[in-house]
Amino acid sequence: MAVLGTSVQRSRNERRPSRARNAQLRRAVLAALVLAALVLLTVSFRSPTSGALHTAQGWGAAGLKPFQVAAERVARPFADAYDYVSGLTSAKSENAKLRREVRDLRAQASANADAEQQLTELKRLTRYEGLKSFPKDYRAINTSVISFPGTFTKQVTIAAGSNEGVALNTPVVTADGLIGHVTNVFPDTAQVTLLTDPSSSVPALDVTHGVTGLIQRGPQGTFILNRVPKDAVVEKGDIIVTRGTVDRRYPDYYPRGIQIGTVLSASASDIATFLTVQVTPFARFDSLDTVAALVPTKRK
Amino acid sequence: MSAVDGLKAAALLFVAAILQLSIFSQARVLGGEPDLLLVTLVAVALLRGSVFGAAGGFFAGLVVDTGTLSKLGLTSLVLTIAGYWIGRYGETTGRDRRHAPFLSVATITALYAFGVLIVHFVLGEPAPAGAVFRGLLPSIALNLVLTAPTYWLVRRLLRPLERTDYATEVQLLG
Repeated sequence: MAVLGTSVQRSRNERRPSRARNAQLRRAVLAALVLAALVLLTVSFRSPTSGALHTAQGWGAAGLKPFQVAAERVARPFADAYDYVSGLTSAKSENAKLRREVRDLRAQASANADAEQQLTELKRLTRYEGLKSFPKDYRAINTSVISFPGTFTKQVTIAAGSNEGVALNTPVVTADGLIGHVTNVFPDTAQVTLLTDPSSSVPALDVTHGVTGLIQRGPQGTFILNRVPKDAVVEKGDIIVTRGTVDRRYPDYYPRGIQIGTVLSASASDIATFLTVQVTPFARFDSLDTVAALVPTKRK
Repeated sequence: MSAVDGLKAAALLFVAAILQLSIFSQARVLGGEPDLLLVTLVAVALLRGSVFGAAGGFFAGLVVDTGTLSKLGLTSLVLTIAGYWIGRYGETTGRDRRHAPFLSVATITALYAFGVLIVHFVLGEPAPAGAVFRGLLPSIALNLVLTAPTYWLVRRLLRPLERTDYATEVQLLG
């Protein structure tokens, strides 16, 4: 009599040793693979940016890079078409918003001319390293994003690595603004942790009012300019940029003046220690494509 | 099951992993994300059993972790267990069932999401449970859409096994 079986043609004596061997083999394979995964995980967790495994992962990443770049290029027209169609739905309201912004910016431009004059004076008076001109000290390495952030990780892979001059903590930008910095580097690829990562924290400056704070991830795709004293003045529409290095002893990853976003709202509550400043990022983190890694031209 | 089958399965999973990394990971719908790699792994495991499923999951996880430069072994660990489990289902109660691929994909999408969430949580990394739960139903729906064409393609490349090839572990009594 067979119970739950289909292989009834063979005798019990022939099948049993084979079945037992199959089951043992199967369990041994599973145990070996799980153990191997745990060993890999432990080693890569303990030394995430160096060591033999890191080197091997770099070789693997270099091998995968051409395939990823090719697939990304094949998919790009379709992704662009999708972005275009989805963009049309919000184009009307965005147009009206842009017209308002143009009016505001025109008024701001005249104010900026005056500010520029003041800035020249300030540069002479202060010796902040961050006030060195940004293009003079950095060069841009243009590259493309070849893997994208998921639910768990707010990190992307870029198709440039140490062979191109990218190093740990190299800032990465798009044409719109800052997106993050390099947290792991391989010969041909690098991992970029985005500003949307919970661990990200960028010293920032409100250029309109000269207020400083820390840009951190906020709700619903926005950022929070944290650590802004309650008595500071921050207004909607203020431009937020990276603060850069203030003290030579504590250099910042980011050069001064990279645009981050614009203030969406600023409010104070009785119980909060600091102002609550919400910032809308300039960069579009949901459609990263071409980015630039900013590499210093001078050795620090 | 032969070495040719192994090579075919490896090639399939490699291509699925590359497409997942470069294309499907960008396609977010209502917070959900289609996972071509998971669907392909389910198809391979159903057609070739638990050992292929586990080995395929390990290999595919390595490709993903290498391609995203994330911690090696993390995705492998979860995909190995997922591949083994679906392989066992395919070897036993799931064989010859038309609904098996769909049931497997729906179940494993949910379990995979929880598995990755738990591993991230245990490792002390960000584990956004809310985002995972919100995106779960759309992800299952998107994966179910991918199931039929993916299973058809994998079935064409990996011929279904004869019944006697399965490791059933069913005991004959009396």
